[in-house]
Amino acid sequence: MKKMNMTLTGLFAAAILLFSSCKKDDADVAIDKTNDGTFKVFTEGNITTVQNLIADTIIGLTPVGQPYGANKFSFFSIENNALVPSSDSATNKWDIAFRGTTIITNAGTSGPGLGGAFVLIGTFDATASVPADSTFYTDTAPLYAIRTGSGKGWYNYDGATNLVTALPGRVIMIRTATGKYAKLEIINYYKKGITPAATAPDNDKLSLQRYYGFRYTFQPNGSKTF
Amino acid sequence: MKKLIIIGCCCLPVLRITAQLKPFKDSLFSKELSEVVVTATRNERKLGNVAVPVSIISQKNIQQAGSLRLKDILQEQPGLFLTSGFGVGVQMQGLNPDYTLILVDGEPLTGRTSGVLDLNRVTTGNIKKIEIVKGPSSSLYGSEALAGVINIITDKSYDKKLNLSARYGTYNSLDANITAAGRIGKAGFSAFLNQYNTDGYSIRPYSVERSKLPVNRTTPHLNINYPFSNKTSLNLSLRYNYEHIKNELAVSNNGQVTYSYGREINKDLNITPTLTHIFSSKFKTQLRLYANRFEGSQKLSTSVGQGYDDYFLQRFYRAENQTDYSLSKRLSFVGGIGYIKEFVNSTRYDSKDSRKENEVSYGFIQAEWQALKNLTFIGGFRYDDNKLYASAFSPKIAGKLTVNNRLSFQASYGRGFKAPDFRQLYLNFTNTSAGSYSVFGALEAQRIIQLMDNAGLIRQFEADYSRLQALKPEYSNGFNAGFTFFPTRKLQWQVNVFRNDIKDLIEARLVATRQDNTQIFSYVNIQRAFTQGIETNIRYVITNSFILNAGYQYLQTADKDELNRLKEGNYYYTRDENNFSVLLKKKDYLGLPNRSPHMATCKLSYEPASQKWFANIRAAYRSKWVVFDKDGNGIYNKQDEFAEGFVQLGSSIGSSLPYGFRIQAGADNILNHVDVNNLPNAPGRTYFITIGYSFINNKSTKNKN
Repeated sequence: MKKMNMTLTGLFAAAILLFSSCKKDDADVAIDKTNDGTFKVFTEGNITTVQNLIADTIIGLTPVGQPYGANKFSFFSIENNALVPSSDSATNKWDIAFRGTTIITNAGTSGPGLGGAFVLIGTFDATASVPADSTFYTDTAPLYAIRTGSGKGWYNYDGATNLVTALPGRVIMIRTATGKYAKLEIINYYKKGITPAATAPDNDKLSLQRYYGFRYTFQPNGSKTF
Repeated sequence: MKKLIIIGCCCLPVLRITAQLKPFKDSLFSKELSEVVVTATRNERKLGNVAVPVSIISQKNIQQAGSLRLKDILQEQPGLFLTSGFGVGVQMQGLNPDYTLILVDGEPLTGRTSGVLDLNRVTTGNIKKIEIVKGPSSSLYGSEALAGVINIITDKSYDKKLNLSARYGTYNSLDANITAAGRIGKAGFSAFLNQYNTDGYSIRPYSVERSKLPVNRTTPHLNINYPFSNKTSLNLSLRYNYEHIKNELAVSNNGQVTYSYGREINKDLNITPTLTHIFSSKFKTQLRLYANRFEGSQKLSTSVGQGYDDYFLQRFYRAENQTDYSLSKRLSFVGGIGYIKEFVNSTRYDSKDSRKENEVSYGFIQAEWQALKNLTFIGGFRYDDNKLYASAFSPKIAGKLTVNNRLSFQASYGRGFKAPDFRQLYLNFTNTSAGSYSVFGALEAQRIIQLMDNAGLIRQFEADYSRLQALKPEYSNGFNAGFTFFPTRKLQWQVNVFRNDIKDLIEARLVATRQDNTQIFSYVNIQRAFTQGIETNIRYVITNSFILNAGYQYLQTADKDELNRLKEGNYYYTRDENNFSVLLKKKDYLGLPNRSPHMATCKLSYEPASQKWFANIRAAYRSKWVVFDKDGNGIYNKQDEFAEGFVQLGSSIGSSLPYGFRIQAGADNILNHVDVNNLPNAPGRTYFITIGYSFINNKSTKNKN
């Protein structure tokens, strides 16, 4: 009996070990990547993905029908993979900030940091380093390092459908507030990462926009290769 | 292109076999092939002898299909697709509505908006037949005849008759026609009146907005013919079209409703006197004068005070002489000279008081040479000298080889052109609201931008500023080649392969930026594109009463500059299923938007030998087409947004009744395919019933009506 108990205890112990080890594996692998419309940050290997970063969503329309928000940037730290409160906007704690289609970096007229950016044509995966002959621009409002305006920087605006599309084949090269480098790709501008159909009602197009989805690779050692 | 070559190669062995085939003693189709057409050569030729792709839609076809407006019958023709936006336009061989010339009795209709001539404006009530010529015909018709020509030939028979018909259908649509003809002394006259009213409809449920707006249209047409002698005759045609369109909208925005009230009125008046003199059976001359006045006004007022008032007046005057001369049985000529004066006043340019004008002088000549008994060549050219833009030279050559009454081959080359329109020359438009921008016509842009620059308003000239110059016409080199073959006495098979190479397409480009960052656009000659494909039609006489017609078109299009950049690589990107950027593959490129690669039509008709009644069922298929650059890469590819493909099914049945009456009923869009966004002009299923009455009920009018 005692022996049996021992065996059972052993089995239990083995089972617990087994289960616990399973649990540990799950925690490593099963990142919840489903885009449910909430703000989420997760890292796989050296790529961090951000979903639904809210960037000054529309709160009303002007009398001539122009949408407007609260005119506030959402600040984000690429080094820490997290949002930064706007009370820290005058510090080196943030690297990149979003307001509507405007993206700023922490330098020049935008902040006290060593930041900067430029837009590279190519794919995210094929961009292995910051090209040697490249120049990082800093913000001199109203002209930003990442140009605003349809087709100039990272997006295209279609006047007929009122849709903002993240241009494919654009990699935003970023210098962080502390002078390190990252490559970033905007994936989508709409909630849940789904651009409304061209034929969707205007209300949907307005209420679902300004939810950034993007991914980036940060090089913490200060070198220009990823 | 590869696909076309493959199709071509497949045809070769077929041809080798058929070349040995013995001719038929008589053909079931000889009647159709001996029908006279005028549009392809500008003189009367038998359909079977014409070297370019021509099709005829007869009055009987139009009536049996229950068509009311020109758009109804054109949407059932193979290779034609109707576009929406600024009315209903027609896309031919993959080219936009701007590039198809639409004629009524050989004279052009005017009053295009953004290049589109609304096919709803034309009633089918007095059409004798419609001739459709595909491929460039600018060598005879000048500007716009780049994709082809649709010539609406009205009924001008002067045999005594009085016909009435009325049709009532879904959405309270009423169409009534009166036709009267007769002779007073030597003079013949025919008079026609059409009245069309509809309440319109909304395919958005519970909406005051009408997808198709309530319309009233009135079209009187009077034709008088007076023969001075059996050699000289005078013809006078007077045609008027009045159109009144209501547009009432309610737009709700954050609970606030804005009502708007719009009215559109279009008036179109045409007067065409024609003097014909026949010197001999070999020598004939004709003087045609044409005066056309199109006046369109659109007014919109809204409950919040904003609105617009758009006015457009186009006057088009033309004098033309055409002379036909036969040197011998084998060699004949057609030649002509003409002069066009055109005026436009519009609020779209600056004000309705400022008159824009253009003058065109032109001449054309065409020779037809029967080199061998079964081999005919046609060659010719036209030269248009324009006051406002570069002149245009349009040559054409065509040949037809008739092996026997079962097989013939034809090939043609033509250069077509489209002159810049007044909008592209004179537009002066500034949008002050959303993302404010300006568009200036090519003739105005440099002057206005220089003035602004002198005032220090311009931040920078963009790269395309240097392209601003006198606009050139848009050109197309069109090739068509094909055959007509009768595998059996009951089956006709036609194939036509086409390619249109278009250059100097006029496009609006960013030319300068103002200090306040607003953008200035103007028109420049830029784009190069092509459309190519194959069209095939069969006509099968199943029994003497049952006839099947079927047509299919395969179409490929491309912007040549986009295609070159794609071939060079590393230029266009798209997104994969994870929304990550990837390079765009060439095989995913789709070319020009709003074009279906596959289109098909099919019609089965039944009519007993007695011709007492008839029935038909008609289908038109269009495969899905790309409508929106969803991935934002600037070109159209398989990853973009599409409109759903569809089949439109219609059916009609009719019978002649005693005492000169006839009755017809039918249904259109039986499958009820609706697409609010991409097919706003196509209602759901509709029904109609028509009653006609002929006071003079002799045999010839019974068949026609």
